[in-house]
Amino acid sequence: MRTGAAGETLSDAELVRRAQEGDELALEVLVERHQDAAFRVALSLVGDTDLAQDVVQDAFLKAFRALGGFRGEAAFRTWLLTITANAARGALRKQGRRREASLDAVGPVASTEVDPEESAVVGDEAARARAMLVDLPEKQRLAVQLRIDEGLSFREIGEVIGSTEGAARVNYFHGIHRLRERMER
Amino acid sequence: MNMRCEFARELIPDLVGGRLAAEEAARVGSHLETCDACRAEADFVRLLFASRPVAPRELVSRVREAVRAGEGSARRPWWGLAAAAVAVLALGIGVASRGATEATAPVPGFVAEGTAVNVWFADDGMIAGAPALDGLSDDALQALLDELGSGGTGGTA
Repeated sequence: MRTGAAGETLSDAELVRRAQEGDELALEVLVERHQDAAFRVALSLVGDTDLAQDVVQDAFLKAFRALGGFRGEAAFRTWLLTITANAARGALRKQGRRREASLDAVGPVASTEVDPEESAVVGDEAARARAMLVDLPEKQRLAVQLRIDEGLSFREIGEVIGSTEGAARVNYFHGIHRLRERMER
Repeated sequence: MNMRCEFARELIPDLVGGRLAAEEAARVGSHLETCDACRAEADFVRLLFASRPVAPRELVSRVREAVRAGEGSARRPWWGLAAAAVAVLALGIGVASRGATEATAPVPGFVAEGTAVNVWFADDGMIAGAPALDGLSDDALQALLDELGSGGTGGTA
């Protein structure tokens, strides 16, 4: 059965199953469903909107090419975000970029759209909090972002950042603690 | 029932993101009413959640096109395979007949036009698959050439 307009209500597992059978619409629903999360992970790591889009495109292509071997041990989203994070690191290595964190640097919010539903409540304070994320070490940054923005469990975060569930939890709480300390300065 | 701070703080992101079931959200919410430290953390998490970026609108179509293009090279459409098969068959016949007519063209006819007129067994390019060759990628054409070049015709000089 091909995926129709109702595909948006299907689970990821069902969409993946259909995509594995060659259903292109199922692929499209997966892209629409997860592009924001993938973009946020990419942006968090590369710090550049254009490069983040390249990374997301690359990550989806890699994921879909490997879909035949996807057995569903991990959730599709976790798997995709892991691929995205690896693609982002690869893009950085390729470009030989080094991100120097700075409170004065242009943060993601300043150069990127914010969720329209939340835009009304986003003020300077929120933008400042978001911009400070770039100051955190990579694992803390990703742990905070994946927990708050995407609602991943600590086990899932561990899969993405390459650590144990416990280490992911520690990274999250250390990251939050550091951010709050800096906000209060 | 009260809730320990440690447990509440783990769930604050889900509360802020609207991802908790009503009963659990109520438990965390009631804890926040009585715990200044956890409430402050929830306020901070709310700031971060509210400022999460979203992907540019054009990203979906961009990925969609890339996926389609990627599929085009990875999964050749049936007509492409059929056309390639016709082309290979035609060229194979042509190359085989070349030996009988002592043709000396070193490469297939579609590469060196005019040097192997006998390669095509019909003047009708459609039958010979010529239009389909126009649609083949460089890689596909190279693969054809490689295959023909090592096809037991004595090789090229």
